[in-house]
Amino acid sequence: MTEQARFAHASEAELARILDYYGVAWDYEPRTFPILWNTDGKVIESFSPDFYLPELDLYVELTTLKQSLVRRKNRKLRRLRELYPDIKIKLFYGKDFRALMLKYGRFDLAASLSGLEGQITPLSVRQPKLALTVPAVAASADGPTGAAFEAAPIVAARAPSTRSRPRVSRGSRRRRGRRAFLAARNS
Amino acid sequence: MSDVIRVAPPSADIGEVLISEEQIRLKVAELGERISADYEGRAVTLVSVLKGALPFMADLMRAMRIPVQIDLMEVSSYGGTTTESTGLVRILKDLSSSIAGKDVLIVEDIIDTGLTLNYLLRYLRGKNPNSIKICALLDKPARRLVEINIDYLGFTIPDEFVVGYGLDFGEYYRNLPFIGVLRRELYETQ
Repeated sequence: MTEQARFAHASEAELARILDYYGVAWDYEPRTFPILWNTDGKVIESFSPDFYLPELDLYVELTTLKQSLVRRKNRKLRRLRELYPDIKIKLFYGKDFRALMLKYGRFDLAASLSGLEGQITPLSVRQPKLALTVPAVAASADGPTGAAFEAAPIVAARAPSTRSRPRVSRGSRRRRGRRAFLAARNS
Repeated sequence: MSDVIRVAPPSADIGEVLISEEQIRLKVAELGERISADYEGRAVTLVSVLKGALPFMADLMRAMRIPVQIDLMEVSSYGGTTTESTGLVRILKDLSSSIAGKDVLIVEDIIDTGLTLNYLLRYLRGKNPNSIKICALLDKPARRLVEINIDYLGFTIPDEFVVGYGLDFGEYYRNLPFIGVLRRELYETQ
C-alpha cells in the first residue's frame, strides 16, 4: 500500500508504514470535501483528509506543522465537521505524532518529521537523550535504545530537491494554483 | 570487582507520580472483584501481552476469586528490530495452549492508538474462544486510532509519557511500583 502512494509529507509515509505494519487498510486522500462556495455556487475551498481507514470508517489528518501554524487547519476541520457531521475524522497534531514516534522508539523521526523539516530535508539521525541516563551497555543492544537508528526510506515521497527555494506546504501550493487558475480564467 | 555502571535510580527520572502504588492496589482489587462477579461460576483465561502487562496481570489474578488460567503472548512492535525484515506484526510468543471454547480476558497495561490490541483481537478471535473481553489498567484516548471497547478499565490518563508498573522507556522503569510521568528532558531531542 505504501509503495503506491505519493505522500506530501514524510510523516504521512511513516503513518502509512505503521498502518501497514498493524494490518490496517488505508487509502491516501481518497476524497475531497468542498467546505466553502462562492455566491455562484462554485467551490472555493475544500479539504482532503490525508487518510481514510475503510475498515474503521475513519479519516485521519496529520498536521505536523508547529502548533501556531495549525489554526487554518483547525478552522477547515471545524467547517468539515459542521458540513459533514457523519464523517468521523481524527486530527493528529505534531505533538501527537512525535509522541507516537517516541512510543515506537523512533526518537530520530520524532525530531525530524515535524513541520517543514519533514518536507524539505532527508531524515536526520539523532541520538536519543536517553543515552544520558541508561547504562552504556544499553547503547550497544539492539532495539529502540540501541545505536543510531536507520531512518526508514520514505517510499514515494519527494526526492530531495536541488532548488534553492524551499518547498511550500501542499495547502500553499493549492492556494497558489487556485489563484493562478482564477487569474487565467478572468484574464 | 567487576566494573559498575552507575545508573540513576529510576524514580529520579520521574517528574510526577500520576498514579500511586496505593491507588493501583485499590483499583486492581476493585477490578478483580468486578471480574470475579461477572464470571461467577466460570473459569477465565487471562491472556497478557508481554512485557508491560506482567505486573498488572500478576496482581489482578491474585485479586480474583474464580478459577483462572493464564497465558502470555508477545508481539513485535513497530519500530522494533523486526520492522524492517517483514514490515508486519509478528507473533514473537504465541499462546501456550488452545483457547477454543474458553472465556478469554485480554489483560493490557495501556491502550493508546489501539493498533496492537486491534491486531490481537483479530488474531485471538480466529482461535474460536467462547468470548473475549478486555481489561486495561490505563486508557490514553488522546491518540486513539482504532476504537476499542474496554470492558474493565483502571484509569483514563492524560496525554503524558508514562512509565512504571510494567510500562517502560527503553526497557527501563518497568520496576517502579507506581505510574509516573517521565521527565521530558529524558526523551525530548535537542
